[in-house]
Amino acid sequence: MEALKDAFDFRDFSKAERIGLALFTILLLVFPWLGFGAFVRVVMIQFLLFSLFGMGWNTIGGYGGQVELGKAQYVGIGAYTVALTMVWWKVPFWVSMPIGVLIALGYSFIIGYPLFRLKGHYFAIATICTSLVLQDIFINWKLVGAAKGIELPIREHPDFLFMQFKNDVHYYYFIAVLFYAALFYMNWFRKSKLGYQLRMIKDDEEAAESLGIDARWCKIKAYSIASAFVAVGGGFMAVYNLYIDPYSVMDLDLSIKIALMSMLGGAGSMWGPIIGSAFLVPLDRFLGSWLGAQKGLIGVDFMIYAALIMVVSAYQPRGIWGIIEQFRKKGA
Amino acid sequence: MIVLDALLQGILMGLLFALVALGLTIIFGVMDIVNFAHGEFLMIGMYTAYWTSLLLHVDPLITLPASGIVGMLLGLVSYYWLVRYLLRGPMIAQLFGTFGLMLFLRYLAQFLFGTDYRIVQKGLLVGKSLSLGPFIFDWTKLSAAILSVLAFSLVYYMLHRTKLGKALRATALNKEAASYMGIKTEQMNALAWMIGGGTVGIAGGLLVNFWYVYPTVGLLFVMIAFASVAMGGFGSIKGAFFAGVLIGMVEMLFPVFGHLIGSEFLGPHFKFTIVYFAYFVVVVLRPQGLFGWKH
Repeated sequence: MEALKDAFDFRDFSKAERIGLALFTILLLVFPWLGFGAFVRVVMIQFLLFSLFGMGWNTIGGYGGQVELGKAQYVGIGAYTVALTMVWWKVPFWVSMPIGVLIALGYSFIIGYPLFRLKGHYFAIATICTSLVLQDIFINWKLVGAAKGIELPIREHPDFLFMQFKNDVHYYYFIAVLFYAALFYMNWFRKSKLGYQLRMIKDDEEAAESLGIDARWCKIKAYSIASAFVAVGGGFMAVYNLYIDPYSVMDLDLSIKIALMSMLGGAGSMWGPIIGSAFLVPLDRFLGSWLGAQKGLIGVDFMIYAALIMVVSAYQPRGIWGIIEQFRKKGA
Repeated sequence: MIVLDALLQGILMGLLFALVALGLTIIFGVMDIVNFAHGEFLMIGMYTAYWTSLLLHVDPLITLPASGIVGMLLGLVSYYWLVRYLLRGPMIAQLFGTFGLMLFLRYLAQFLFGTDYRIVQKGLLVGKSLSLGPFIFDWTKLSAAILSVLAFSLVYYMLHRTKLGKALRATALNKEAASYMGIKTEQMNALAWMIGGGTVGIAGGLLVNFWYVYPTVGLLFVMIAFASVAMGGFGSIKGAFFAGVLIGMVEMLFPVFGHLIGSEFLGPHFKFTIVYFAYFVVVVLRPQGLFGWKH
C-alpha cells in the first residue's frame, strides 16, 4: 500500500515538471485523434517503446552508475519467448510475455552474478560480449529460425489474447499503458531502499560497503529489474512487428541505442530516458526518411546523428536534462 | 597435422590482431579511455592502402607509410577535436563520445566509398604462397605477420628505451607525478593517440591485402581488440601481444577441433563467439587480465 502511494506521489517534483507531465499525458491520450499520418504514429510508438527500454536501463545504468551495454540480449529473450511459444504451442501473448520476463530475470541472475565481479571498462565490454555470444547462438540455431528469424502466424481476426490488431492505434494505447506502468514503477523505485542504495554505490562504492550495503547484490537486483523491463518491450516488439530475427532484436546497435538515449537525456534522472528518446527517436527516423531516401546522401543522416552524440558527450555529459538544470540554476 | 597447420595460421592472424590491439592498449594505459572508434581507424587505414595503391599503381606494401600517416593524423585530430573535451566527463560520456566518433567515421566511409566490398587485387605478394614442407603460407599473411612483429618491437623499443617513451609511461603510471617532473600530460595524451592511430593504420594497410574492406569491417576487429586488450590486461603492451596471438590461435583451432570431434555445433561460425566467451571467462576469473596492472 505504502509502495503504491509512493508510486503515484509526484509531489517532490517542481511545479513545472508536474505541469509538463500532465500536459504530456493529455497529449498522449488525444494523440491518435490529432490526425497525424501513419509515419508519425509509428514514430510515436517507437518513442514510447524506447522510453520503456530507457527507463529500465536507467535503474542499473543511471541510478546504479554501471555502464551496461548488453540490454539487447534481454530484448531478444522477451521477443523470442513470445514468438516461439506462439509458433510452437499457440500460447497467447498474455501468458508468454510474463514467461519471457521470468526467463529474462533468471538469465540475468545467472549472467549478473559473475558479471558484477567486474568494474568499469571490463564490465562495459563484458556486457557487450555476453550479448554478442547470445546473438551468435541465435543466428546459428536452426531450431529458432537461425539468421532468417521467425514470422508470427497472423490471426484471421483481430485478437486481444494474441495482441494482433488491424489498426496500430491499439498498439499505441497498449505501449502507452506499459509506458505509464514503467513511469509509476520508476517513481517508486527512485524513492525505494534499493534506489538510495544504488545512488550511494554510484557515488562511493567503498563507503557504501562500509555501511553494510552489499554492493554486488544491489547491482544484480537492479540489473534484473532492468532486464525485466526490457524483456516486456521485447515481447511487445514481437507482436507489433510480427517478425523478429537476431539482427533486429539482439544487435549491439540496439543495446547501444538504449543506453545512449538515457545518457543523452540524462542518466539517473526521472525524465532523462523519456527526453532522450523523445529527442533521438524522431531525429533518427525523420533524418532517415528525409536524407536516406535521397540518392547520393546515404549515410549522411547517421553522420549528423553521430556528430550530435559527440557534441553532447563532450559538452554536457549529464545530457539534455543536465543542460535544462543548468539553465534553471542560472535563472533561480 | 591439421592441428599444427591451424595453430601456425592462427599465430599469423594473431600477430595482426595484436597489432590492432596495441594502439587500444596504449591509449587506455595513458588516459583510461576505451576507444570505440578503433576499428574504424583500422577501416580508414585499409581504405587508404586500397585507394593509394589503386590510384598510384604501386604495390600495397609500399603504401603502408601512407596508411600509418593517415592513422596518426586521424588519432591526433580525434584527440584535439573530441577526446580532450570528453576527458572532463564521466566514463560513460567518454564511451559514448568515442562511440559517436565510430558511427561518424563508419557512415562517412559509406558516404564516400559506398558499401561495396573491396580488396587489393594486384600486388607483388597477392595470391602467392610459400610452402614449407607440408605447410602452405600465403605471402600476404606472412608478410603482414612479420611487419606486425616489426612494428610491435619498434613501439616497444620506443616506449622502453627512449626518453619520449619513458615520459609516456610515466604519464600512464601517474599523471600528476609525471606533470611535476615537467612532462606535459596534454602532449603525452596526444602522443598516445598518434601512436595508437598510426599502428592501427598500418595494421589496416597490412590487412587489406587479404581481407575485404567495407564500411562496417571495424566492428569485428574492435571486438577482438577489446577482447585481446582486456585479456592481456588494460594498458599492458606485453599482454596485448600475447592475448592477440592467443586469440588468433583459438579462432583458428576452434573450428578444427569441432571438425575433429565431428560436431556440427562447434563449427567455424562460432569461431568469434568463442573469443567473446573466452574473454568473459578470463576477466571474471582474473579481472585484471593476464598481465594487467591497472583496473
